[in-house]
Parts: sequence; C-alpha cells; structure tokens
Amino acid sequence: MTSGRATTPVSTEARRPTAIRLVVSVLRRRPPMGSVGLWAVLALLIIAPVTCFLLLAVSPRLLGQGPQYFTLRFIGQAFQGNTGQGIFNSLWVSTTVSVLAVACSTVLAWLVSRTNVYGRRMWTVTMWALLLVPTWMMTLGWTDVLQPFGVSQFLGLNSSYLYGQFFGPTGIIVVLTVAATPFSYFVVSAGLQGLGSEFEDAARIHGASRFLTVRTVLPIIAPALLSAFAISFAETMSDFGVAFTLGYHSHFPLATYTLFSAISNFPANFPVAAVVAVVLIASTVPLILLQSHVMRKRTFAVLSGRTRAPRRRELGPLARVATTAGVVGFFAIALGVPVLGAVIGSFVQNLGIYSSTPVHLTTTYYEQVIHPSIIGKGLGAPLLLSNQLGFIVAGATGLLALVLARRLVQSTGGWSQRITDVFLLGSVAVPGVVLGVGYIFFYNLNFITSHVIDLYKTLPLLALALIATSLPGQTRFMAGPVSQIQPSLGEAARVHGASRFRTWRTTNFPLVSRVLLWGWLLTFTKTISELAIAQVLYPPSQEPASVTIQAYLANNALGTGTAMTVITLVEMFGAIVLALGLYRVVTPRGWRRIGWSEVSG
Amino acid sequence: MSTGEARRAVALSLRQLSKRFSDKTALDSVSFDVEPGTFLVLLGPSGSGKTTLLRCLAGIERPTSGTILIDRRMVAGPDTFVHPEKRRLSMVFQDYALWPHLNVRRNVAFPLARSSRSTTDKRARVEDLLERVGIGHLANRFPNQLSGGEQQRVALARALAADVGLILFDEPLSNLDSDRREQLRIEIATLTREAGATAVYITHDQSEAFGLADVVGVLNHGSLVQFDTPESIYLRPANAFVARFTGVAGEFGVRVIRARGGGRYDVELPFARGQRIEAIALEELELGSTQSLFVRAAGVTLGPTSELCGVTGHVIDVAFTGRGYEHVVRVGPEAQLSKVFSTSRFERTSQVRVSFEVSACLVMRTPTNG
Amino acid sequence: MNPIRKTSARRFRFALVALAPVVASLSLLGVPSGAAEPTLVVYSAQGYDSAAVTAFNHTHPGFSVTLNDNSTGPLLQQIQAEGNNPKWGVLWVDGSTAFAQLDSQGKLVRGWTPKVSFNKLGLANLPKDRSYIPTGLTATGALVWDSSQMTAAQLPKTWADLLKPQYKGELGMNDPAQSGPTYPMIAGLMNSLGHYPTSKNLAHAITAGEQFLLALKKNGLVVNATNGPTLAAIEAHQIKMAIIQSSAGYGTELTTYPKMRVAYLNPVTALPGVIGIDAKAPKSVQSEAKKFITWLLSPAGQHVMKTGDAQGDSLFWPVLNNDAPSNSLIPPLAKVPMQTVNPYVWGAQENKVNAWFESNINNG
Repeated sequence: MTSGRATTPVSTEARRPTAIRLVVSVLRRRPPMGSVGLWAVLALLIIAPVTCFLLLAVSPRLLGQGPQYFTLRFIGQAFQGNTGQGIFNSLWVSTTVSVLAVACSTVLAWLVSRTNVYGRRMWTVTMWALLLVPTWMMTLGWTDVLQPFGVSQFLGLNSSYLYGQFFGPTGIIVVLTVAATPFSYFVVSAGLQGLGSEFEDAARIHGASRFLTVRTVLPIIAPALLSAFAISFAETMSDFGVAFTLGYHSHFPLATYTLFSAISNFPANFPVAAVVAVVLIASTVPLILLQSHVMRKRTFAVLSGRTRAPRRRELGPLARVATTAGVVGFFAIALGVPVLGAVIGSFVQNLGIYSSTPVHLTTTYYEQVIHPSIIGKGLGAPLLLSNQLGFIVAGATGLLALVLARRLVQSTGGWSQRITDVFLLGSVAVPGVVLGVGYIFFYNLNFITSHVIDLYKTLPLLALALIATSLPGQTRFMAGPVSQIQPSLGEAARVHGASRFRTWRTTNFPLVSRVLLWGWLLTFTKTISELAIAQVLYPPSQEPASVTIQAYLANNALGTGTAMTVITLVEMFGAIVLALGLYRVVTPRGWRRIGWSEVSG
Repeated sequence: MSTGEARRAVALSLRQLSKRFSDKTALDSVSFDVEPGTFLVLLGPSGSGKTTLLRCLAGIERPTSGTILIDRRMVAGPDTFVHPEKRRLSMVFQDYALWPHLNVRRNVAFPLARSSRSTTDKRARVEDLLERVGIGHLANRFPNQLSGGEQQRVALARALAADVGLILFDEPLSNLDSDRREQLRIEIATLTREAGATAVYITHDQSEAFGLADVVGVLNHGSLVQFDTPESIYLRPANAFVARFTGVAGEFGVRVIRARGGGRYDVELPFARGQRIEAIALEELELGSTQSLFVRAAGVTLGPTSELCGVTGHVIDVAFTGRGYEHVVRVGPEAQLSKVFSTSRFERTSQVRVSFEVSACLVMRTPTNG
Repeated sequence: MNPIRKTSARRFRFALVALAPVVASLSLLGVPSGAAEPTLVVYSAQGYDSAAVTAFNHTHPGFSVTLNDNSTGPLLQQIQAEGNNPKWGVLWVDGSTAFAQLDSQGKLVRGWTPKVSFNKLGLANLPKDRSYIPTGLTATGALVWDSSQMTAAQLPKTWADLLKPQYKGELGMNDPAQSGPTYPMIAGLMNSLGHYPTSKNLAHAITAGEQFLLALKKNGLVVNATNGPTLAAIEAHQIKMAIIQSSAGYGTELTTYPKMRVAYLNPVTALPGVIGIDAKAPKSVQSEAKKFITWLLSPAGQHVMKTGDAQGDSLFWPVLNNDAPSNSLIPPLAKVPMQTVNPYVWGAQENKVNAWFESNINNG
C-alpha cells in the first residue's frame, strides 16, 4: 500500500500491557446513562419489590417475618400437601394449556393469514377483544350460563353435565387455553408473515409432498412457535383469575391460588408463598433459555423487505364453510358464550336462585348498580377511578415500553439486549399478588419511606404497581413493530433538516403511533380489570371498579356483580371504539397506511 | 454552470478523518479536498469504509478524530460536531428511506420546511421536481404503491428539493435492475450537475463510478488509496488493488527484461517463453525481477492465427453483447483473459492471436510480503 | 441505532425520558407532599365502617380519620407486611383470634377501655390486658336454613344430629382459609366437643373437632369459599342449610332470599367485632383512636353501626347493657346458646387447623 497506512499514528494503547489497556478502555467508556436510568426505573418498578418478596423464601428475618436469617425449611414445606399439589397442577396444566394454545393459534393464524376463510378481518379484531377480556370475567360469564338456575336453564337447556365438567380440570384448561391463545396468536402471525410463500414454493418445486413441505417449513417458524409457547406458559403459570375462581371451586388447587392462600391466613406464611413464587418464575427459565438460544442469531425483525406477500390458499366452498364454522366455534366458546351469558345473566331475575315463580327478565341488578345495596359500594366512583388509573397507567406504560422495546430491538445490544429480553419474559410469570405484596414490603421499608419516597397507601403506588405488571408484556408486544422501523427513516429526516424534535414528531411518532395506540388500549383495559394488585394496594377510600365488583360477587350478589361487570365491559369497549375512532379522525391518512398487519382497523 | 448555481455549490475538505468502532477501524486517517461543484465518487468494495465516510459527512456518524469542513465551515473536529440538520446537505439513501406515512408530494416537500420560500413557491418547486424526475403523475401515491425505480426517483427529488450545496448518494442504484440503473444514473448525473451542487456518491461499481465522476476516490480497508480523475485512476492505478478494482482482463507474473525509458519496460510472458511485450510501469523496476502485469481489456485485440504478432490463445467462451462479442481466452496453462472485446466472433475452442497495446499493460511490483 | 446519540449527555437525557412517564403518572395522581401530620387510619372490614368514619368526621370537627376498607384477609396481610413500619392506627374486624396474636407480638395498645358499661358477653370478650375492645357481637356457626326446602320441625336439634343420614348432602360451610369467621367457628366446635376449658387438653379437643368435621364430610358436607357461594348454594337448592355467620343469614332473609332462616344449635360461638389500637402509632394518633372508639361505643356511634349496613353487618348484638339489636329478626341475646372461646389459645392454632382443613376436608 502506498498511502494512508504509513501516516496513521500508531495507537499508543497498543503498546501498553493488556491489563492497563483494559482499565483504560473501561475508564474511557462513557457511563451508559441511558442503561443506568432504564435499569434504575426497572429496579424500582419490578426488581426491588419482587426480590423483597422472593427473599422471604429463605430469609424471613430480613423483612421481619420470622426468626431465621437463613432457612430452607419453607422450601420443603412448599412442596408438601396442598401447596405441593398446586405446584404440580400448575406445571402440568400450564404445559397442556400452552400446547393447546399454540396449536389453536397456529391453526387460526394460518387460516386467517393464508386462506380465504370468511371474515378474516373480523377474526383478527375478535382476537384482540379476547386479549382484553380478563379470565375472571370469562369464568363469571360461563358460570352465569352453566350454573343451576342460570342462563342456560332460562333458555330451557340442561347444563348440569357441562357444569360439572366446567368446575374441574377440563373447564380450567379450556378457559386458560382460550385466554392464552391471543398471546400466542399474535406471535405466530408475525412468524407466519416472515415466512414468505417462496419457502413453501421452493419445497414443493423440488418435489416435496405436502407433508414434507410442512415439515420443511415448520422449522422456519419454530422460533415463533417456541416464543408463543413460552409466552403462553408464562401467562398461564401466573394467571390468578382462573385459579381463584374455577380452580378453587373445583377443589383443584393451582400454584397461584395456594400462594394466595398461604398469605391469606393469619399470620400469613410469606416464606412459603415466596417459595411458590420462585417456582412460578423459575419454571419459565428453561423456556426462556431455550428461546433465547434459538433466537440468538435472529433479530426481532421478522419481516424482510424482500419477502413477498404470501399467497392465500383458495379453499373450496365446502372447506371454506367448514373452516369458518371451526373458527366461529372457537370464538363462540372463547368469547361469545361467556359475554352473551354475562349480558343475559345480568337481566335474569333471581339469577342462580331457585324460585317458584317462572324466570323472567329484570333490570333490578342495574338499578342496584345505581342504588347500591352495600353502602358506599356504588360502581360510579370506582369505575371513574379505574378509568383514570387506566388512562395514566396506559400512557406511562406505553412510553416506557417504547423506550424498552427500542432497546430490545437494537441489533448492537448483545448481552444487554438478551438480559433485557430474558428479564421481561421472566417478569410476565410474576403473579400480580406477588408484585402487590412485594410493593408493600419494599415501599414500606423504613429506609424507603423516610429517605426515598413515601408512597405506601397512595394511588401513585397502585399506579406504579400496575405499570410494573403491564410493562413486560407491553414491551414484548411493541418490540416486533418497532423493529420494523428502519433507522434510515429517522436519519433521512435529520439529514434533510429536521431537528431531533421534528424528526420525532414527523417520522418516528407517526410510525409507532398505531402500535402505541393498541398498546395503550391493551394496558388501559387490563388496568381496569386488574384484580390481584388492586386488592392488595388500593389506598383508603379509593376503591377501583374490579375490587367493588369482586365485593358484590363475594357477597352473594351475583346478579349485581354481573351487571357491574357488563357495565365495565361495555365502558371498556366503548373507550376502545372511541379511541380508535378518534385516531381515525385525528390522524392523517398516511399514518394509517403503515403496515402493521396484525391490526386491521 | 450558471453563476448562481456555482455560488451555491460548496467546497469539501477532510483532514485525517478516522472512525473506530469498538472492535474495528472503519476509517483510517482519510484526507482530501473537493472543489465546489465537483461530482466525487467514492469507490470501494463492501467494508472499505465508504458508507462510514458518507455517514460522517452527513453527520449521522460522529468521527473518532480528524476534521470535516463543509463550505469552509468546520462541521466535525475536536470539540465540534454539527448535527445533520445544521449541515445544509441532502442525501439519497440506499434503501430510499421514504417515509411510508407520507405521500410522494409530502416526502419531497419535507426538506423545504427549512427553506424561506413562500408556500406557493414551495408547492411549485415540488411539482417541478416531480416532473423533472418523471413522476409528476404519482404525487398522491404512497411509497409502498411505487416500484423500486419510482421510489428512487422520489428519493432523488427529495434530495434535490433541499436546494443545498452538497448532495450525498449512498449506493442509490444498488437495488435496481440494470436497465433502470443506467437510466437513473444518467438522470442523477444531469440533475445533480444542473442543480450545481457538490456531490459525494458512493458505489462499489467501477463503471458507475467512471460514468458519474469528476473525481474518484478509491477506498480500501478504511484508507483512501487513490484520489484522482477517472482517467488517471484507470491509466495510472496507484496499486494492484486499484488496478484490480477498476477492471483488468488478466493478471500475470512477468519477468522484467529491458528498460525502454519513459517508464516503459519489456517484459517476458511466462506462458509464451521468449514472447516479450511492452508495458508501462509507474515505478522503477529492477531488470530480471519478477513482477505483476495487469492487462486492461480495452487494450487487447484478437485476430486470426494468420497474424504474425501476439501470443496464441484458445477461446473458452464467447458472449454476444449487442455491440459485438466478449471473449474469454486462455493464453497459457493457468493464464486467461476475460472480457476481451471484438466486433467479430471467434468460436469456442478456436485458436486466436492475442495482441496487447502498451497503454493497456501495467506492470507493478509484486508485494514482497504477500 | 443512531450512533450520534451515543454521547453521555444524550444518554443522560435518555434516562430522563425513561423516568419521565413514571414521574408524570405520579404527579398526575398527586403524590402526598411533605410530611403531613399523621392522622388516624382505620383498617376495617366492617360493612358499616364507611358510615361510622363519615359520621365521626362529621361530628368531630378537626378530625380527619381515613378508612382503609377491605376484607379481613388482605387487611391482616397488609398489617403483617407493613411489619416494623405500620401504617394502621386501629384494626377493626370480626373475630378476636388475630388480635390475640397481634397482642402476643406486642402490637396492640394495652390497658385502655372506654368508660362504658359492657354486658356479660361484652365482658367475656374483653381480654384481661385490655388490648382490644369488642364493639358488637355476631354468632358464628349459626344454622342458616332454607324454609322453602324444610320445616323448622325437620331441623337438627344438636350438632350430633348433623351427622344423621337424613341430612346427608344438605349441609354447607365456608373455607376457613378464605372466610374470616369460619376458623372461629371451627375453634368453637373443637372447644365444645373437646370440653376444652375444663379438660385442658387442647390436642384432644382438636382431634375431636377434626373427627367431627371428617364425619360431616362423610355425610356430604359442601365447602364453599365464603358466605356468598355458600348462600348461593342454598338459594339454588343444592343444599338446605349451612353453618355460617348469623348476620349473613339475617341479611339474606332481608334481601335476596326471604325464605332464609337462622337457628342456633347449642352451642354457637361468639364472634365479636373488635377493635384494637396500633402500639407503634404516634401518641397523637393513639389518642385520636381512643376518641374514635369511645364514640363508637356511645349511643351515637352504636346507632350508626346499627344502621350503616342495615341488611348486613349491622345485624349484630350490642355488647353494652340496656341496648338491643337493630332488627326484630334477631332474638334476644339471652335466648342464644353462645360460648366464648379463648382467642389466645385458639388463635395460635389457626394456621395448623386451617392447613389440616385444606388438606383433609377441602381437597382430601
């Protein structure tokens, strides 16, 4: 070489011994303020409170819950008797449910994205609706339908056999599968989109049979399937709604229930509950590691510009009707029956009560919502509060999740990225009640209340806990769409004269606006219906709607509780329709063109 | 070039520009100066640092050391870093980087936000530009409704709309098929020169580089290897890398036999013992030493075996190119020449006589350490 | 990501951006500012607590008592998790077993009672060290039955009758792990079946109770989580009667299901609504708490308690002399065979007994 090289000043670092070089390079690194800030937020939101709770498993004394600084006896205790049974049940039920959910969602995703099944757009929207309905509402709806003197009896159907089945492992698995399916569905759909039909074509051109084609193509979406399995498993393990209602009443203990039960005695057995929580979280670790191993070489960007839009399989008329019927059947079980059941139930006089007078419709329950039979337990103020909470929590979660998601999809992230990813999925498996009680432990520590911030028994603390519980799922939800935004779009704006702010306003924001909106709605509804954390952390005299509804359901006022549930559901979906409508009206046409095809709104 | 436009074009000056990423050096002390209105093409293989250099110019990347002056203003240097939006330049991206939520018209109008023109003026300029790049009828479409070529035209119009003194091009033609490439290359050349802006264009395609450039900079491993006019680069490559990268028909080891003076030597071809040809050397060579001979395709002619001068070869392959024929000819056991042009066709397996023009034969020192 | 952002200043701002949503959400909800004078917080699960606190604040200008209303379970959970940094001023729930344990841990103010005239059962439920104070009484283990499914003549006369085949599958009860008043009922059963206070043999009493519960289970006992589902099971004619808290039976009779009746087998166990003061609360809060309790046991306070949840928790027997229940459905206290168990003895057994119940009755 003739130029350049000779004039390059030889790096002075190169001549130093390795150790010194290492120290110098560490010192030279600018402190990663972004990471530090972000992890500080995560520490305060999730890590510290959950760790406080988990520490109790081996060291009750640390938090004043027993004499031992270190003990293993609670571990043994947790694996015995009812608690041990709960852990065992949770593990096998979650595994079964995840397999079923991935199977259901793969079939549904394939039907909707790759065939001409009827109502494809509607099914995607319905899947969204399913994602928004909490499991306890689903259980309530089914109970309204199946129970003696319930809706099915009102409609002249005998449901006693189904009622028996529903209150047992079968019902539990069905409801949990239905609840886990949307999580899995959106992951699998994204995977299917990345799978251009050229793979399929290539396999078939080279003479593969239909079966062999599937076998060839399947491994390509295997990471998506594994990811779907992992998220289903984590969600199912940590579900409390079903464990507390169906699981309890059918004497089929699940781990989240036994955890709850360990701390609802007095004195509460926090150490055993902590062991169960550790098991819940640890059970997802193998999956996370497996997934992270498979995903190592991949980015979250499943879409490449070169992948062609997949071809739809044209089903024959008979097959088309049959598959459509199958999809209808799924959604009927998942959403139609429970929602309709709850709606009808809320109008049936003497719901669930033996009565000599023939059953008839009534608006009594709705009148009771307005004139509550328990003093101070109207739905108005709680619902308003829940909406305010939902509004704020969804906003804060959305922004934080966006920051985290951007971090997660950075291709340069390396270890930091993987840690973030693993941490987020692990956090999904943290049951709400653990987070809630962990919040009491941590935010009521003398050190925290007197030197950091005194939030215990305030609404902001409840809001923080709700943010913490939505953040992991929300971030993973946003990671996909965010990864599809090419960095060059922002660079182009800067180069063509846009300031950082204008770049954000004109380029980045419009590109993420839609996913932000959906993420916002998701958290908004989840916050309104959230029960486990609200129950533990709601401040004096400020009761959220879910707690009020639960109070009625627990006090033998099924009808009123159902009516309140229906009102809350209607209000929630009203808010969604309003938000989507506003988005349509307010945003320029181009914003809605951005391909984020899971959402067809 | 009209005077008004010449005033807008800017000079560019780089001094000792380096960029290190955590584990590798992407740019190694690059320096050059560009006169206002020059069309500079940076040529290099992938990984040569050309993209990093362009991104440093744009302000998307911050150099590790060295300085950049645009229009005699320091935009990057010790304790100085001017953000991209303050550099008054525009850029055509490799992936076009069109905003999917804005239609064609609004994409093109984007850079005009910093202009002081009136609204009607801006509107007229956008329409004019769209017409000029031939997509006036697509103004209301969204990027994903356009073909690749159309998208690239939008990107070009957007860059021109900025009305700035420096336009950067990041391999803008690499995603297009060959027909469109040729067409758009011409448009880029003419429209950019019409605009009177200084251009920095990066590519790995030498024909694209030679077709566009006033000045070519060849980059390899982060270093600027040669910086000169296309003609000089072609005729007097600075080293073997440049010679190879700018296209050779064949490369052989040869023995230097005789100095003819004026940088010319007689060299002996290894595969045709006793056959000597005349070649140009850009440096002094010892007689009797073995060096490398690079043969440009343009200076190789084929003829029937009846001709007296030249070496004997066998045609391995022949391809019709429209204007004539390109041949691959084997001239020795392990020596062949490719892309040898002739207006007449020599069939495969036939014997031909190959002769070399002096100007097409470059002899260079074979690097001693490999 | 865009490399130009990787400067430390930029990263700092990035950190601020990450914090901003959290801070914003907090400020929108209104972070309590500064160290305000601590005031009394009432942790209560009583149906009439809201009415009581409102009335107290209303009639006592300058006081701002706040109410943390929740079920007994979460309240005790919170108190336990609050540990050495308690936020409660008084705890006010049904059942004295939890109080006995709190007292053993030294968490209650001792030696103070308001100057009122307690009746016999009131005094029976006032501990020697005066660490908590009864405010009203209900009975747990009351036989709540459906007069549309059976007649009074068909009712069992004794506890042992419940084991008879004629009542197979007709009886329900709650789960002590989920329903606060249920453990006191089980403790009462053990207490009476094992003749505990006389025999002084606790283990024997526990075994006797366990045997009885197992026999009930054999006779088709239906266990539901709480009063709600248990009453619902009667209303749906799945069972005919249940042993639960008296006020829940009266409440149902007054509201959803007029055919519901309440009867008392000998003995039922007193379930006092009791209130106790946090020993760690500031003196000012403790004195507020004493004012609040004094008011609760005054005629004005008792009136609010008896009307605040008229079809629910207000259906209790007063613990004061010359006072009567709010509703004529409730028989005079003298006619109810009511026993009081020692909460200090039985409170300590709660977790063990509940665990046994969970494994052998509920899931066995």
